Amino acid sequence: MYDIETGAPLCGARLLEIQAFLAQRGLTMEGAADFYVVLRDEDGAIAATGCLEGRVLKYIAVAPSAEGTGAAATVVSELVSEAWREGIGHLFLYTKPENGRMFRSLGFYPVAQTDSVLMMEDKKDGIAKFLAAIPRREGAAPVGACVMNCNPFTNGHRYLVETAAKACGLLYVFVVSEDASLFPASVRLALVQKGTADLSNVIVAESQDYLVSRATFPTYFIKERADLAHVQTDLDLAIFTQRIAPALNITRRFVGTEPFCPVTRAYNARMKELLPQAGIELIEIERKDGISASKVRALMQAGDLAGVRALVPDTTYAYIKDHLG
Amino acid sequence: MQIVTKGVAGTMESSDIIVRIEPAEQKGIELTLTSAVMQQFGKQIEKVIRETLAELGVESAIVNAVDKGALDCTVAARVKAAAYRAAQCEDYTWRTKQ
Repeated sequence: MYDIETGAPLCGARLLEIQAFLAQRGLTMEGAADFYVVLRDEDGAIAATGCLEGRVLKYIAVAPSAEGTGAAATVVSELVSEAWREGIGHLFLYTKPENGRMFRSLGFYPVAQTDSVLMMEDKKDGIAKFLAAIPRREGAAPVGACVMNCNPFTNGHRYLVETAAKACGLLYVFVVSEDASLFPASVRLALVQKGTADLSNVIVAESQDYLVSRATFPTYFIKERADLAHVQTDLDLAIFTQRIAPALNITRRFVGTEPFCPVTRAYNARMKELLPQAGIELIEIERKDGISASKVRALMQAGDLAGVRALVPDTTYAYIKDHLG
Repeated sequence: MQIVTKGVAGTMESSDIIVRIEPAEQKGIELTLTSAVMQQFGKQIEKVIRETLAELGVESAIVNAVDKGALDCTVAARVKAAAYRAAQCEDYTWRTKQ
């Protein structure tokens, strides 16, 4: 049996030791871990590791000598218990598809997968429930979708939604739920809802955990860093094409052209490649007058309310005016 | 017994079961069971979980159990411990030998 060592935060000598162990398994550690588990054999050598970062189980690795001893189960059980005690009720993990069976036996269920990554969650019907809660509209076709952060909702977003809505019987606007932006997720969602309230064939929904958030990107176990961007976008698109689009009958996805951000541009290019294979048409809409949310945030920073006003709908402006400074 | 928060007991070690309990909005026990011996004993494990909760008077809860071949007495013990924790109840009534 192993000695179980748990703790937080992961830093100092322990961090270096775990990093070295992971490196031998071809895993790269990124970001902070909130909680860690290390199993040690009789000689004190690491037999297995695992970490918890927010809602994501990470860095689960087992030494070759400890394979088949239930070490992974011990690690996962410690992580799951810790998360539960911390009140985290919904966990995710990313693994290689060949490990799916093992994690399945530990109470994780598949969400979607690509050739190299399988995303799993510990709720049997997590994504099914998320999809079931999104309103449907009978007979509306074609059904389109766009996914936006809207930090905050600008005239540019408004133009994209309006143009896309005209080309669809029904348009879903998914607002990214991850809280890593200047405007909190609840505010971004509310501003999109208010800013599109007059468009009768638009349904605004939260993306929750299922349109990949930065916090849940499975970057850490990819050996070739150059592949990274592809792995991320491919998994995101796998969730969209395998789960979301079929459930909501979505056949079109809309994006704005991206003149500035290379990551978004690469993502759009990848969509162009992968979505048609899944029977989904990708439609790029020319960005309106180069309006961007980052420009709005810069104007806010400079205290230029008049400048902000020119770039955002009244509903967004009202919020900024009330909350600025 | 009222489930008011999240409670967990047990492990995923061989011969054990980990039971996670949380409050449910609707009445009833919503149970998800993963078991290494689902085919042979899935029904029996589910029965023990539901009976143990009924005994404790838990009428509403979401329960997630991952079983690794636990005996019935282990299943019952883990369910009880998780339920007491989830009910934030420390007033244990130990069953006396009959």
